[in-house]
Amino acid sequence: MTGEHERASRLHRWSKMRVVRLQAHGRRVAADGRLFVRHPLGLVGLALILFFGLMVLSYPVLRATVWDFGYYDPITGFDPTAAPHPSTWTWRHLLGTDNFGRDVLCQLFAGAQVSFAVGILAALIAVTISTTMGGAAGYFGGLVDAALMGVSDVFVLLPAPVVLLIFGLLLRMRWPTVAVLYGILTGLGAQAIVVKSHTLKLKARPFIEAARGAGGGDFHIILTHILPGLSSLTIVHAIFAVVGAVLTESLLAFFSRTTYYLSWGTMIWLGQETFRWFSLEGQWHAVLPPAFSIMLFCSGFYLVGRALDDVLNPRLRRR
Amino acid sequence: MIKFIVRRVVRGLVALLLFQSLLFALIHSLPYDFSAYVLTSPAMRALIRQQFGLDRPLWEQYFNWLEGFVRLDLGVSFRYWPTPVLDILLGNISRTLLLFLSAAVLAYLLGIWLGKMIAWRRGSLFELGATLGGVAAYTAFAPWLGFVMINVFGWYLHLLPYQRLVEPVVWYNAPLTVDALLARMVGTVLAALLVLALVWYATRRVRAAGWRWAAQGATLLLCIGVAWAVWARSGLGYLALDILAHMALPLGTVVLLSFGETMMTMRASMLETVREDYVLMARAKGLPDWVIRDRHVARNAILPVLTRLALNLPFVLIGSLIVERVFAWQAMGQVIFNAIEWQDIPVLMGVLSIVGILALVAHVVLDVLYMVLDPRIRHAAEKS
Repeated sequence: MTGEHERASRLHRWSKMRVVRLQAHGRRVAADGRLFVRHPLGLVGLALILFFGLMVLSYPVLRATVWDFGYYDPITGFDPTAAPHPSTWTWRHLLGTDNFGRDVLCQLFAGAQVSFAVGILAALIAVTISTTMGGAAGYFGGLVDAALMGVSDVFVLLPAPVVLLIFGLLLRMRWPTVAVLYGILTGLGAQAIVVKSHTLKLKARPFIEAARGAGGGDFHIILTHILPGLSSLTIVHAIFAVVGAVLTESLLAFFSRTTYYLSWGTMIWLGQETFRWFSLEGQWHAVLPPAFSIMLFCSGFYLVGRALDDVLNPRLRRR
Repeated sequence: MIKFIVRRVVRGLVALLLFQSLLFALIHSLPYDFSAYVLTSPAMRALIRQQFGLDRPLWEQYFNWLEGFVRLDLGVSFRYWPTPVLDILLGNISRTLLLFLSAAVLAYLLGIWLGKMIAWRRGSLFELGATLGGVAAYTAFAPWLGFVMINVFGWYLHLLPYQRLVEPVVWYNAPLTVDALLARMVGTVLAALLVLALVWYATRRVRAAGWRWAAQGATLLLCIGVAWAVWARSGLGYLALDILAHMALPLGTVVLLSFGETMMTMRASMLETVREDYVLMARAKGLPDWVIRDRHVARNAILPVLTRLALNLPFVLIGSLIVERVFAWQAMGQVIFNAIEWQDIPVLMGVLSIVGILALVAHVVLDVLYMVLDPRIRHAAEKS
């Protein structure tokens, strides 16, 4: 009977602990959220991200309802009714057409999909690699540290855009390749070094020692103390990786090192190539939208990253 | 301290050898050898294969590659066969370094100053404007920003030249080459900076602020005056002006592209430093606001920004390479993108090697500098 009672009370205590912990966690998230909402630049960034997110979500809907497949396809579309072909805006083509007769607005929506996909895939890969490597090197130290940081020392010498520009010659790259390569190069390089130094600081904190004294093993300490401690850094790194990956992908597309798909970089390249051929004024309507899209998309993520840094980093938090 | 430097340099050299091995592995992990890009004739391809040693076993190629790198022999260009890659790179790297380093220094100074200001006025309209502007410029698409600068300043306003390193008409009967003149210009600037640094060092202990500033200001004016007089007398002033006019737009573009990151890093670092106890102490002493900002907070906040700089320099370099291409400014950027167009892989591998070496030098120098500047790190290094 005592055994059953003890087990029941332990279960009770455990679940209560869990509820209290969850509540505390919820309060912290809510406090962070309130701080973020008071951060004007973070809100600007969030609005920009939501705007591009809406573009991605509405693209299939618009394709199904308003944009006729043959006229409006972002790559093969052509509108025979509006000529001559780099045309400025009309009600049929809100941002005009490029010199192949394709709708610029529709291309912009299609490009938003690619940018989101590249950014998120690259960020996931970069953050996974850098957190694992930097965390392991910082936590275990010794030989693991020497080996992993040796790798980082090498990869930090390889700036991802130059490497990808050169390897675009040797490989046929579509957007997943670009994203994966960018994620690997960034994650193995600078980010891992930063995560490692952060882990070292975390490891020296007294609560880690307390957890070890209470009998916590490496696995337990890493899972419940180190990884949550690294989470704010991870989020910020992920967001900066999105910015870097999207800029790099646009650069590769601009210098035509990618194949078989359309992105904002391709649109800028085409617009610049034909800038003064077809009209005396220059076709700003075809160059400006993708260029501003890249700028606003990356600014949105960058501003949110900085705002999250302000909110999550205890040393920056406004008091 | 010497021990620390030696250890850091040795670690860097090991990293460099591993880096070269990685490049080797990257090329040879592809399912074909890179002589396949020589499309002229089978005989030529066989010659290339023989010259690059592609017919030997892999381990021998690997040691040849490393040995060649140690002897600074980076192979032979496909396009300009048989010109060595190193000659092509060395012929162009000085101008890239000039543009890239001056842009990095300007962007760094601008970023530090702006970051200091916006951190001090957290939450103001000035912060909002500077942050939005800086972030927009930082995330702008580099070729497009160059394109806008060309169109606005070159095409519509006719303010500045936007193509080439120099104007051929102006240089028709010039007595010396562009590189020689550039060397003289850099020499003038460095000499002036040296004099300024010496005067600053000599007068830094003068207690009367008025006299100190008078001496430093007079030296600055004197340097500018002397430089102006020397260039006016040499009769080469018009050529120097031509170079400067052509450099203005690329330099401005690279600075615009790269100051935002430094600004935001400096801001974060300032906000962290403001929390320190010595700042509270300075406030309690009743020091003026700008003295606390410039002498107590900013000086300590610069150190972490310096380490970020090492990680950022490669991206400033990429920015300047792209901008060189966009403005047709004859330097490394042109070499790289032409090599990409002609699929000149040895040149590209040489470029990666050089970029790696530059990045490594920047890392080692900044690590050592950081240790010299920060006593906490120095003591920790001496103890271990």
